[in-house]
Amino acid sequence: MKVLTPSALHAWLNALARDRLLIAPKEEAGVLLYRRVGNADEIAFTGKDPQRPVTPIKQAFFPPTERLLLIERLPADEPGGSRRIRLSESLPEGEQILFGVRPCDARGVRVLDAAFLEKEPADPYYQRRRQGSTLIGLACPEMGPTCFCKSVGGGPDDASDVDLMLFETENGFAVQPVTEKGRALLDGAELTETEGEPPRSALTDPIPVPDRLAWPPHFQDSFWEQMAERCLSCRLCAYICPTCRCFDVRDEALPAEDGRELYERIRCWDSCAGEPYRRIAGGHNPRAGKGQRLRNRFFCKFHYFPEQYGHQACTGCGRCIDLCPVNIDITEVLSHLVVG
Amino acid sequence: MSHTASIQAKARELLETGAVACVIGYEIGPRGRARPVFVESPEGASRLVWNQACTHNLAAYLPARLRPGKKGEPARPVGVVVKACDSRAINVLLAENQFAREQVHVIGVVCPGVLEGAGQRSIPDEASPGEGPLQARCLRCAERTPVVSDTLIGEPFAAPPATLEEDPLDRLSGLGAEERLAYWLEQFDRCLRCYACRQACPMCNCPTCLFERDDSTWLGMGIGLSEKRAFHLGRAYHLAGRCVGCNECERACPMNIPISHLNRMLAREIETAFGYRAGLAPVPGPLVTVLDRGEGRP
Repeated sequence: MKVLTPSALHAWLNALARDRLLIAPKEEAGVLLYRRVGNADEIAFTGKDPQRPVTPIKQAFFPPTERLLLIERLPADEPGGSRRIRLSESLPEGEQILFGVRPCDARGVRVLDAAFLEKEPADPYYQRRRQGSTLIGLACPEMGPTCFCKSVGGGPDDASDVDLMLFETENGFAVQPVTEKGRALLDGAELTETEGEPPRSALTDPIPVPDRLAWPPHFQDSFWEQMAERCLSCRLCAYICPTCRCFDVRDEALPAEDGRELYERIRCWDSCAGEPYRRIAGGHNPRAGKGQRLRNRFFCKFHYFPEQYGHQACTGCGRCIDLCPVNIDITEVLSHLVVG
Repeated sequence: MSHTASIQAKARELLETGAVACVIGYEIGPRGRARPVFVESPEGASRLVWNQACTHNLAAYLPARLRPGKKGEPARPVGVVVKACDSRAINVLLAENQFAREQVHVIGVVCPGVLEGAGQRSIPDEASPGEGPLQARCLRCAERTPVVSDTLIGEPFAAPPATLEEDPLDRLSGLGAEERLAYWLEQFDRCLRCYACRQACPMCNCPTCLFERDDSTWLGMGIGLSEKRAFHLGRAYHLAGRCVGCNECERACPMNIPISHLNRMLAREIETAFGYRAGLAPVPGPLVTVLDRGEGRP
């Protein structure tokens, strides 16, 4: 296997950060986050507990807020007068390298790809960012107490969704290129040939995950209302989820510039857990109950999404289990479906 | 009798006699974490527990639970397990007419303080000694005994068991305005606008949050620094003289934003200016405007 020694890794990352936009796990106020880094010293290679950053890598492709259009009212003295507007599209440009992406997060990108790219028309904003990105994965030596990636098709050393995978070893990081893009990134890296294979990760016992067809009979269960009694209807679980991808679009006014009237069309993260999410014109809310909303969250991941795209929209990262303020636990939901 | 046994016995009695429709308390989930539970039958009372991981402010569930029905009929009373901080929230909610006093049976527990990490990790049960440090808010707590209760569980302490020596507020308020602004913008920058802070807060009970109105012309839905700053500062002002310092907002925050500094700064100002601390009695705070009959609508 090829290995990047600690000093070679450092030099390689510094070179990447010098020429390109490098996003990597970084500690900020005690929170591990994916952030732009200027050099390798800023990178937190392994989080303590848990190993993954608090927020997933999805924001590199699907930012919390994104401008879709700039809208400008034409001045009265231009042809057409003040009754006309000019729209200008603002598509993202440039390349980015995402370093230290854990396999669960990388698998989340597969879910986003399906939703944003699989069916025509592809989402141009997501597509641009996705095409301009190279993912460098980092295998987890072991699974954390709330991780269940192995039970939803992934694994702590699964390299299928990255361009290049790194594995922690005694002498540095073993390197496994997955795509051409990943291989190209290694140009100039100082690789050492070492005996042996990249280490395999330690696994915890799998949890039972019900088949997508097992869900509809449970739609009317009282379980949803009971579990949701303690739900706060915040959006935490969706915003830290590597696969949640709902958004809202709105036109908002911008400060006027040189007398020009400006607006922008933005899209922002949204979550089906929030009360206003499903509210419709006239004020009716078909998902007014907390239980209905929470049920949707889990049906989306394990029934609706698999029906449409053929795979689950949960990567077993365990973030929602760690961070829910009132301990709504996705594995408890799965076991309800299995055990009843 | 342990606190857990006392809470269970009281809850069972309240549910058996029909005095309440539900008891909101704490249970231990399958991962060993304490969490809120809603018990609606006498048999369910055995799920209730008490330990130093019972961090949630259960008063936050009361306004929605006790809202009148569609035809205006009052909701049936509920029982609720509270610590000292949580009990102060009940007083604020009563002062703001969120429900009537007879609609809640308050099961107050004399609280030794809640442990750091409570709710997010498994913490040993009541019988075993507390493990690890107390939450900072508990080290500052001057009450320990609930200020309002119908059933009191535990013996009131003679004096608070511990206090905090250094206060980060002193350091922050010693900074210049520019440094403070830079500090806060750095904190707010991490915010995701997930509203976990607001949703965990017993005082954030507006039917539609000011910062989430569809028709707002002054705060958009963007998850940008400007909106996040407006949200956090605005929320802090709306809690001035109302926040009881339970710090559930800060605990719920996934991004470690020190929200409590804002709330405590305002609480300190209000105590200095008006000699008032929120929730010690069911009276409206000095910054809350109470309209006389007839003033509400034109």
